[in-house]
Order: sequence, then C-alpha cells, then structure tokens
Amino acid sequence: MLEKNYLWRVYWQLAGVIMVCVVIALAVVSYFSHRVFDRELVPETEKKAATEGASLRALVLKATGYGIPFDGLYGVNRTFEEVFSENPEFSYAAITNTEGTLLYHYGKEPQGALVHFHSPALLAAMRDSTVPWQVALVDTQYVVSLPIIDGAKPLGVLHIGIESVFVDHVLLEVLLDVLVVLVVSLFFTLELLNFMAGARLASGLGEFGRQVERMRVGDFTAQARVRANDEIGRLLRRIDAAIDHLNVRYEFLAGELQDKLRAADAQRREALKPAVAALESIGKRFKFGTAPKESQTDEMNLNRIRAPLFTFILAEELTRSFLPTYVNQLLVTVPGISPQVVIGLPIMLFMLIVALGQPYLGSWSERVGRRKAMLVGAGLAAVGFLATALAYNLYDLLVWRSLCALGYAMVFVAAQGYVLDRTGSANRAQGFALFIGAIMVATVCGPSIGGILADNIGFRASFGVSAVMSFLSILAIMRLPAVEIRPHNTRASRTPRLREVLALVTNRRFMTLTGLAAMPAKIILTGVCFYLVPLYIVSLGNTSAMAGRMLMVYAVMMVLIVPLAARLSDASLRRDRYVAVGLIVSGLSGLLLLLSDSILVLFGVVFLLGVGQALSIAAQSALVAEHCQEEIRVFGSDAVYGVYRLLERLGNALGPLLASLFVVLWGYQGAFVALSGFVLFCGVAFTLATRSEEWQAQPAHP
Amino acid sequence: MGTIRVRFITVALVVSFFAVGMAAFLNYFKYKSTIGGIVKSRVLVVGRGIENSVQASLALGMQFTELSALPSQMEREAASDPLIQGIDVFDSTGQIIYSTDAASVGRSVDRAWTDAAAASKSTEWTGEAPGEYVAGISLKNNFDLTVGYLALRYSRDYVDRAAQAAARQIVIAALGAFVGIALVAPLALIVVIRRFERDLQVLETAASHLEDRGQPVPLPGSAFDPIIDHLRASLRDANSALDDLRAKLDRAG
Repeated sequence: MLEKNYLWRVYWQLAGVIMVCVVIALAVVSYFSHRVFDRELVPETEKKAATEGASLRALVLKATGYGIPFDGLYGVNRTFEEVFSENPEFSYAAITNTEGTLLYHYGKEPQGALVHFHSPALLAAMRDSTVPWQVALVDTQYVVSLPIIDGAKPLGVLHIGIESVFVDHVLLEVLLDVLVVLVVSLFFTLELLNFMAGARLASGLGEFGRQVERMRVGDFTAQARVRANDEIGRLLRRIDAAIDHLNVRYEFLAGELQDKLRAADAQRREALKPAVAALESIGKRFKFGTAPKESQTDEMNLNRIRAPLFTFILAEELTRSFLPTYVNQLLVTVPGISPQVVIGLPIMLFMLIVALGQPYLGSWSERVGRRKAMLVGAGLAAVGFLATALAYNLYDLLVWRSLCALGYAMVFVAAQGYVLDRTGSANRAQGFALFIGAIMVATVCGPSIGGILADNIGFRASFGVSAVMSFLSILAIMRLPAVEIRPHNTRASRTPRLREVLALVTNRRFMTLTGLAAMPAKIILTGVCFYLVPLYIVSLGNTSAMAGRMLMVYAVMMVLIVPLAARLSDASLRRDRYVAVGLIVSGLSGLLLLLSDSILVLFGVVFLLGVGQALSIAAQSALVAEHCQEEIRVFGSDAVYGVYRLLERLGNALGPLLASLFVVLWGYQGAFVALSGFVLFCGVAFTLATRSEEWQAQPAHP
Repeated sequence: MGTIRVRFITVALVVSFFAVGMAAFLNYFKYKSTIGGIVKSRVLVVGRGIENSVQASLALGMQFTELSALPSQMEREAASDPLIQGIDVFDSTGQIIYSTDAASVGRSVDRAWTDAAAASKSTEWTGEAPGEYVAGISLKNNFDLTVGYLALRYSRDYVDRAAQAAARQIVIAALGAFVGIALVAPLALIVVIRRFERDLQVLETAASHLEDRGQPVPLPGSAFDPIIDHLRASLRDANSALDDLRAKLDRAG
C-alpha cells in the first residue's frame, strides 16, 4: 500500500499548492472586479439618486405650489421612508434651506454632513438652476445634492446619501459563489490530478509494487507488457530488462546442464549431480519464464472509466438545483392534479425510468458491449438535454427528461458493468470506490455550478451546458478500449423474476432492511434534495445558486463522512446501529423547520440530512448480505440484490411524489416536517426491529 | 522536463483557468444584472410619476381612454431622461392607447409584453424590444383592477455598453491573474514535485544499477528505499543461485 499513501500525500501537496494559487488568483480577480463595480456602479447609482431626487423635488414644489411653507411640509419623512424601502442602497435623505440649515432628514446621517450642507461652494452651486445635481463623498456616503428652485427662487437643497459599501453588499453574493467555485476547484483539481496524471501514475506505481512483490517471492517470470514512455515506464523497463537478463541466464544455464547431461557418461553424471541439485533448488525457489496472460490486471483501463463517468454524471447533476423551478415555468394545468404534484412529475418519471430500466439495461449492455452502451446512453442524454433546453411546455419536457433518464440508466449500468468486467475479487472494492468517487465528486460540483449558471445565463442555456457536458462525455467514452473484456469465471447477471419479487417483498427480514431503511433513505433524499430544497429556497426569494450551495453541503457531507462511516461500521460489525442512527438523524433534520423558516435553519436541515444519510448509506447494502443469507441461498444474490436495488430506486421515484403531496396538504415547511417525521418513524421502527432476538440471532459477517 | 511534471503543471493551469474563468463570469453577470437593475429602477422612477397621474385622474372619475393630459406628460417625462427612448400605454389586449411615438398609437405591442405583465406577481414587469429594454408598470384603478399597462422603453445599447466596458476590465483582470498564476504555479509546483521526482530519480538510478555486481550504489534516502532494498535483495538472491549453478557446472567440467 506504500504507493497509494505515497501518491495521495503527493496529490494533497499538489492540490494544496494549486489551491493557494487559485485563491490568490480569485482574490486578484475579486479585487479588480470590486474596483470595476465601484467605478461603474457608483456613478450609475448617483444618476438613479438624482432621478429619484427629481421626483421628490417635484413633490416638494407641488406642495409649496399649493402655498404650504417650505419649512412646514408634512409627511416628508414618510416619503423618504418609502423611497428607502424601494432603494436599499440609499441610507440618508435630507432637505436643507438655502443657508444649509437642516429642515427634514431620515436615515443614518454621515459624519460631517452638517458641515457639508453649509459649505459655501455647495450652497452657491445649489442656487444655480442650470446645475442639475452635485456629488460629494461625505464620511462613508456619496451625497447627491439637488437644488430645489421654485421658478427663479431658490428654496433649498435635497440631499440623498448612498452608502459607499453598497457595492460590497452587491459583491457579497458573488463572494459566496466564488467560495463555491473554490470548493468545486478543489474537487476538480483532485479529479484532474487523477485523470491527467494520477491514473497512469497509480497504475505504474501499482505495477511496480506488484513486480517487486513477485520478485520478493521468487517470481521472475517476464511480463510481456508495453510500458508507458514516462518516468515510471522507464523504471519498469529497467526492471523488465533485469528480469529478462536473469531469464536468459537461467535458460542458458539450464540448457547447458541439459546438454552436458545428454552427452555425459555415468562418472560425469555423478560430477554433474551438484549442478542438477542446484537447478532443482532454483526451480523450487524461483520461477522463470513468461508470465501467463490471464494473471495480468487491467487497472489502467479501469481508471479510464472515471473521466467519462464524472463528465456524464456532472451533466445531470448540473440540473438538480434548478430543474423544479424550470418545470414551474413550463407548467400547464393538468386536470385533477395539483400544480405542486405536476412540478414533481419530471423528477418522478426520471427516477422511475432509472429504477425500472436498470435491471434490463444491465444484461443489454453485457450483450452490446459496455462502451457501445455508454455511447448510446450518453448520446440519448445529450439529445434529451438539448431538447429540454428548447422545451415548449411540460408535456414535451416529460418526453425529453425520459430520454435523459434512459441515457442516464444506460451509462450508469454500463459503467458499473465496465468496472465489474475489469475487476476481480481482489480489487472489486477498489474499482467501485473509483466508480462511486466519480459520482460523489460530480454531486459536489454539479448542483452548485448549475445553480450559478441558471441564475446568470438562464435555465435553458444551463441545460445547453448539460448537453455540452454530455457530448464531452461521449468523447471521453470513445477513448475507452474498444475491445470488451468478458471475464470467464463470471456468469451473466439476471433480472429478478416476479415470484422472487413477490417472495422477497413479503419477507419480513428483507423488508425490514428495504422498507424501513433503504426506501425511506431514498425517499427523503429525492423528496428533500431534488424537490423541496430547490423550490422552497426560490419561494423564499432566494436564487437557484443558493439551492445549489445547499445541495453542495449535502454532497460534501457525503464525501467526508461516507468513507469514515463505512470503515467504522465494517470494523464494529454493528452496521444496523449505523443505519438506525443515520435514519434517525435524517428524520430529525426536517423537524428543525419547526423552529424557524430561516435560510440558516434550512442549511442545518441539509447538513443533518447529509450526516444522517452518510452514516447509513454504506452499511445498508452490506446488511443485506449479513442478514439475508437464507434468502440469498434460496433465491440467489442476483435476485435478492436486484429486488433490493429496484425497491431502493422506487424510493427515489416516490420521494418527489410524497413531498409534493405533503406540500399540497401542509405547505413547504409542513412537507419538510412530514417527510422527516416519516423517516424518523421508519428509523425508530428499524431500531426496534433490529433489537429483536430473531434479528440478533442472525450471524454477523464482516 | 519530465512528463509527470508537465502533467501536474497542466492540471494546475486547467484548474486555475476554470476558477479564474468562473470568477470572471460570475462578476460579469453580477455586474450586468446590477447595472440592469439600477437603470431599470431609474426608469421606473419616471414611470411611477406617470402612474400616479393616471391613478389620480382615474380617481377623479375620468375614463382610462380619455386622459387628454397624459400624452403631454409622457412627452415631458421622456424628455427628462435621455435614457428613455419612448413611453407607451396600452390596454389589456395589447393595443397602444397613448404613446410618445404618435405613429404607434392603435398598434399592438409585442405579445410577450402582455404575457410578462399578466404573469408578473407585482405591478412591475419587464420586456424587450429590438434595440430596447422595456420596464413596465401595471396601471390599476382604485379598486385594484388593472386598467392598462405602462411601458417605458429605454436604450439597450446604454446597458450593453456599460456591461461591455465592465466585461473588458474584468477580462483584463482575469487574464492578468491567470498569466500570473501560469508563471507562479509551475514554480510552486516544481518545489513540491521535486521531492517526488527525486524519489523517482533515485528509484530509476537504483533500477539502472540493479545488475551491477559490485557494491550497490548507496541510497540518498527516498520514500522508495525499502522497495529498492527488496528489489536488490531479490535480484541478488536469484543471481547468487544462478552463480552457484554456474560454479557447479564449471566444477563438473
């Protein structure tokens, strides 16, 4: 394992340096952008203040025109208040007379304002009707002053103060997005390090490590491999050369001994005995010759799946934070169905197609080849994304999203098959870690960047970006090896039969795991993250970018906690406890909204949900093997896991449906609480069920 | 330069390009939406004056189609701000009833305007016309019923020019930052990679002397030292076994 830890240390050091560079670059861009904002926005806001001031001045002149004395106007402060409510960047307003004496004022008075109002230069300018307005920086405010002149008679001056830090407020939202970019950059860096350098490096060092290990146990068989033309490749070539020389030497000596033995008489044979014994001893201690081909692994090609998978999943994840809002825009009235339920339809349909399609697409991708299946899937999804971007209304959107779902299911299943084909029992976990890693990173980067894109370039263009990403994934898939690997020792996976499905859904032990843990976990995931969060955040007046940030919090929690929880639950052998605690934490998350409806509380909801899901997710499927051994023996692992995955994915489809029904009944907050309450109930029921003697009697296997 | 070094530097450049590009993109769009918002609200200030007049007239019992003073007020207001290119008042069918452009009266506005006005949840709405942006206000009577719509057309060019000027400056800043990073990042990375490269170098040097029969090249201390020791020991064992065989063969004559 030296090479793995060693490489990760190098990766993190490199990522650290790159991050420092990126932070500096972002700081530079932000600083100069701030200057641009200051330079360009302040004059524009001054013009706006002048226009607003002209409107106020007209009111004042109208009042004085009716004979009301200039220093006895009524409701001036109220008017100022109204103006401020519509223009949050205004922080102070005042009216002075021609001497600079303050008559009316509202808001936060800047220090030195009175001195400024009495300034002779200002007072002189404000008596001139040709001067439209003047600006001066007083303390922290830009004060726009307009003369109030009735015909030819100067009455006074209207001042409007603009807080100079309003630009900072404008840039605060950008700053949050820049932080998101920073987090995404970190994950992107690690992904690229792996894609552009790490995969080859890891595979090279791995091969080097294995070679050293083979030599240590005396295996000097030559590996007929083409080495890469880099540092590691050169190194391996040198070792290959040393091994080749040893093999040549061995062959030569063995041949020489054989020749001598053939030509030898009895006396000479006796003399050759020590040499024969030495050769036999060499034969026992060492292995020379050519390594059998089947012993070679396909690690390099296994790593190649990561880039296309990441790119493809990213395309779908980009849409997570704004899809419901986009659907809301294209909404049409569907008789008998509430609009809230209709908004959830595309997500439900997507999940349903993925759930029902995967069992069949698995064997299909086996038949047509993983690469071809992925190409077809990514192609379908690219067309689906493009058509979604151009969707006319909900009805055609449903068709296009179905296309995306079909493509997603194809790519997902084929990529999974690709990993299965190229891994054996020794490195399958490593293969799936790579597979899940690509998906996890895409879930961190996708929703947040998608939200930012949607806010700035619009929903349709953002779907266009997804189409481009999907197209890029096609290019990456084309780089996968065209030759398919068909492992000899694995049989084709099969879809579960109806009688098996029926038998398993009525099986208490199986349904304790599936109905009380796996399905509720998926229901709350899709119901909250894919449906409620994007819609609720927008309903609070926030942006899709904010929804994306929230979803990123969830994904980051998963990335950070899942590996740790998996390790701890495996070590403790009490996976059921991790699942129970995870479900209960997830169930408690939405109840936070009973305290307040603030965005900070929603952040807490998503955070807790992420923690809860991360705690339970890794242990869930392992529990099936642990506690459903009898069912696996009767129906086979394909059937048991097939039904488990099917029900789990049906939970994905049920999530938005339940959430939307709860929204119809109790509004957004009520829906969060109800979904969480449901999962909390399942968590408690699961805890009680797994504490029973019958459950505990099941042997636990690591 | 080693291929690994080139790859790592490429990663740094790609990530920096992405981050700087995204930051520039975000700042540009924020600027564009902010300047657009400021200009729109400035135009709407003018519109609110007209809206107040219309509501005052309606409150006095005048018909919406008989506001004789409205066109002249619209002319005055349009002239008060050079940004405003025209003001139209149209009914719910989209037919223009009053306009600063006399030739437009009686024509229909773009369907998108009426749709946007109808779909808006507040009294304000926005639209677009060739070369112009539109800031709109729904005109309501005392009973809060919408009687028509006010559309203030203002220069798209003004907003676009401001956005382009900002874009230019933001792009220059972003390019500057990227060039700076392109110069600094490789140097910083080389410092980190050097250790790794040195380890590989040691490994490669050791590998190139694997078959030397003399005293092994001393290791300068790298992360791969134990592995190199294993390698040497394995080869030494195999070679000595073969040497032993050679010697025994030679002895046998």
